[in-house]
Amino acid sequence: MGKEELIASNPLRILGLDNKAEEGRQSLGLVMARAGLGKTAILVQIALDSMLRGNRVLHVAIGETIDKTRDRYDDILAKMDEDLSEETESDLSRRRMIMTFKENVFSRAMLEERLKDLIEQDVFKPDCLIIDGYDFDGNGRQAMEDLKQLMAELGISVIWFSAVSHRNDPRVSADGVPAPCHTIDDLFEVVLLINPQDSVMKLDILRCAYCEVEPGTTLLLDPSTMLIKKS
Amino acid sequence: MAKDLSKVRNIGISAHIDSGKTTLTERILFYTDRIHAIHEVRGKDGVGAKMDSMELEKERGITIQSAATYASWKDKDINIIDTPGHVDFTIEVERALRVLDGAILVLCSVGGVQSQSITVSRQMARYKVPRIAFVNKCDRTGANPVRVTEQLRDKLELNAHMMQLPIGLEGEFEGIVDLITMKAIYFDGENGEILREEEIPADMSAEAGEKREALLEEISMFSEELMESLLEGGDIDPQLIYDAVRQGTLALEFTPVFVGSAYKNKGIQPLLDAVSSFLPCPTDVVNHALDLDNDEKEFPVTNDPEDKLIMLAFKLEDGRYGQLTYVRTYQGMLNKGDTVFNSRTGKKVKIGRLVRMHADEMEEIDSCGPGDIVALFGVDCASGDTFTADGISASMSSMHIPDPVISLAVIPVDNKAQNNMSKALNRFTKEDPTFRTYVDHETGETIISGMGELHLDVYIERMKREYSAAVDVGAPQVAYRETITLHAPFDYTHKKQTGGSGQYGRVAGYLEPLDEGEYEFVDQIVGGVIPREFIPSCDKGFQKSLAKGSLCGAAITGVRAVINDGNSHSVDSSDVAFQLAAQGAFREAYLKAKPVIMEPIMKVAVEGPTEFQGAVMGSLNQRRGMIIGTLEEGNYTVVEAEVPLSEMFGYSTTLRSLTQGKAEFTMEFATFKQVPKSVSEELVKKYQEERKND
Repeated sequence: MGKEELIASNPLRILGLDNKAEEGRQSLGLVMARAGLGKTAILVQIALDSMLRGNRVLHVAIGETIDKTRDRYDDILAKMDEDLSEETESDLSRRRMIMTFKENVFSRAMLEERLKDLIEQDVFKPDCLIIDGYDFDGNGRQAMEDLKQLMAELGISVIWFSAVSHRNDPRVSADGVPAPCHTIDDLFEVVLLINPQDSVMKLDILRCAYCEVEPGTTLLLDPSTMLIKKS
Repeated sequence: MAKDLSKVRNIGISAHIDSGKTTLTERILFYTDRIHAIHEVRGKDGVGAKMDSMELEKERGITIQSAATYASWKDKDINIIDTPGHVDFTIEVERALRVLDGAILVLCSVGGVQSQSITVSRQMARYKVPRIAFVNKCDRTGANPVRVTEQLRDKLELNAHMMQLPIGLEGEFEGIVDLITMKAIYFDGENGEILREEEIPADMSAEAGEKREALLEEISMFSEELMESLLEGGDIDPQLIYDAVRQGTLALEFTPVFVGSAYKNKGIQPLLDAVSSFLPCPTDVVNHALDLDNDEKEFPVTNDPEDKLIMLAFKLEDGRYGQLTYVRTYQGMLNKGDTVFNSRTGKKVKIGRLVRMHADEMEEIDSCGPGDIVALFGVDCASGDTFTADGISASMSSMHIPDPVISLAVIPVDNKAQNNMSKALNRFTKEDPTFRTYVDHETGETIISGMGELHLDVYIERMKREYSAAVDVGAPQVAYRETITLHAPFDYTHKKQTGGSGQYGRVAGYLEPLDEGEYEFVDQIVGGVIPREFIPSCDKGFQKSLAKGSLCGAAITGVRAVINDGNSHSVDSSDVAFQLAAQGAFREAYLKAKPVIMEPIMKVAVEGPTEFQGAVMGSLNQRRGMIIGTLEEGNYTVVEAEVPLSEMFGYSTTLRSLTQGKAEFTMEFATFKQVPKSVSEELVKKYQEERKND
């Protein structure tokens, strides 16, 4: 499969985020699930889609190693297209940078400092940020609003987060966004929830500001590859 | 009588440079009565540590060649291979790991897990070597073995747990608390040789209890008996704990961590106990050989002394008394005077003398058996050769050998130096498969190539010191390669008629890129249009063409040459004519096949204080580096990047000045990649100018 085909056939198209960056809008996206259900695999697919469309992605992995994060990308990419050309692979790796932090070390201020370093030194200017492992319990609305401001300042068009929901925490927002993000769900343009049901892994679209389909539409996950597919 | 293999330990001591492994080995030899006085690596007494037997190692305070030595501790026979800590010498580390059953990973309690430890750990994982960790230098300012253990978990992804707690740290480091026996151990006497067991200091008792509980919970995964015993409550039989730790370690699922200070003579004897208790014996590990009579099918070696001999030569050394070949025996017995076969050359070799090595001293022995690591005298072979008994055709699995990435010219100053240099190069290439040498036919210069600047520096120094070969050295050159990217046909006739018998040969076919491997020749000639006897001549002609590409003069790799048509003449065709025809055909097709220049790309890891992260990234970026990622650990960061080797010359100086000497870097070969257009144009231009001037 060629690069163009990979982009066109990607089920993520229905989220309608593609042209928002060109309009100069900053968007926040969120992937939620209980622990161990595959949030990172979804984030990596979102990142790869963005990279295939020519964007630069900074993957911030909190509590993870560089090698492991890189392996995730290699695995998912191989599953998406076994015969990807060396040229495309090399182009993709140039469009990605991984920044890992130990859990207790990550802070918004530190991220800002690092991002500014990268941009000022002309090392890497990201269009999209993936933040995997962000602590929503310890950071509230203000932190998220600060991040949105930082995005505008640095020209970052979209940030995707992952968040862990807990089976025994019943709190949800009006749109069905579970805790700990239920009180700040209005800040996100897109919220996806991995929702395992019997033998099917659903990817529910809980919020979608630019969706080309009605909210409530479901995407599915192939449980063996964790690749997103349409229902 | 057959030796009890459960009492044999073949171990490596492997670690980051300056983590003190040579001092540790020295202490091990002292406590096992192999030496009777302690000398330091950079000792003022001028004797130097026992394991650093080469002059150069003594001077630089680093270990370059691994010396094998034998020691016995309580009822165990321990063969120790000391391995170098610099990444340029990883072939030494890899060779050692190939023949070892277990290893001690030595870490500095201040520096912790650094890039080289990560490389070494990756190598250990490749060879499935169970390991125990020793956090050394607990007497140093800033010592923090708990942090190092966390790093083992985070950076090396090892399930590492402390088996001991230090009693005091830095200047107050006094001894250790053993979490299995729950006793405090102090090291008395002038050289720490007297172990004094005491109750755990009152202020550490609670902490020790907690740590022991956590440890038992972790290792109970490896032993149902221990788990049951824990559930039942009451006293736990220490043997159950030892067995569980051993199980976990052998399965590569657990890494016990020990603490101490080799320099201050603390913690070494318990470490030796741990080697005996937790590292595998030869029968705990399954090694495979390749059956050369059966399509190189893998089969497990037996460790049985009654079986036919299989042993691997893993290291050569040119000693005072001639060539020493270090071997590991995998099955069968070898007796002095036996004749064995070198399975690579098929030659018979008579074993005159067998010795057990103790750094640079040796002990004559009459025989060796499975699991033994010994040295042979006066045997002509190359590193990596397998020796077998008559009637068995086997080779130990081949070792992973990386291609050299850097080369430089060495020019002897006079005739005497020329002779000595030849001897030295002959020796080095046999000792080290990553060190290569050849003569550039155009310039007549001798070129040496290897894995990095330091790698070649050390051999140049050795040439001068050990062989008195005075040589001038050219600037280091990157080992570029050329390769083709398209299918391109050829149809070339070589014809020469200058009176007498002429030369005639026509070859037709095509060149195409080869995905894996360096070169492949395919003969699709039918109907004898090229006579059979000249087919090898065509192959030879193509191979000659590969030596130097026309873009930048680099060797050409990744080419398949296919011949499918041709012509010959009953009188004028000859071996030479077809060789020249093939060379002409290659020239004709090469440029049509859109050749490109490839350069070695190095995986570079820079570690240093966080404040310099921006500057480090900038410096790598300026060197055409692609930043792969960063790892942030509070006040300490690691930047990983892929950088072309050609851009890395002089980087240590740049890094030092950028970071006030507080950051360090390691690099290892990652891959070959096509050079960018601008660099390619420059290389082509430079090569053309050189040719014009010649």
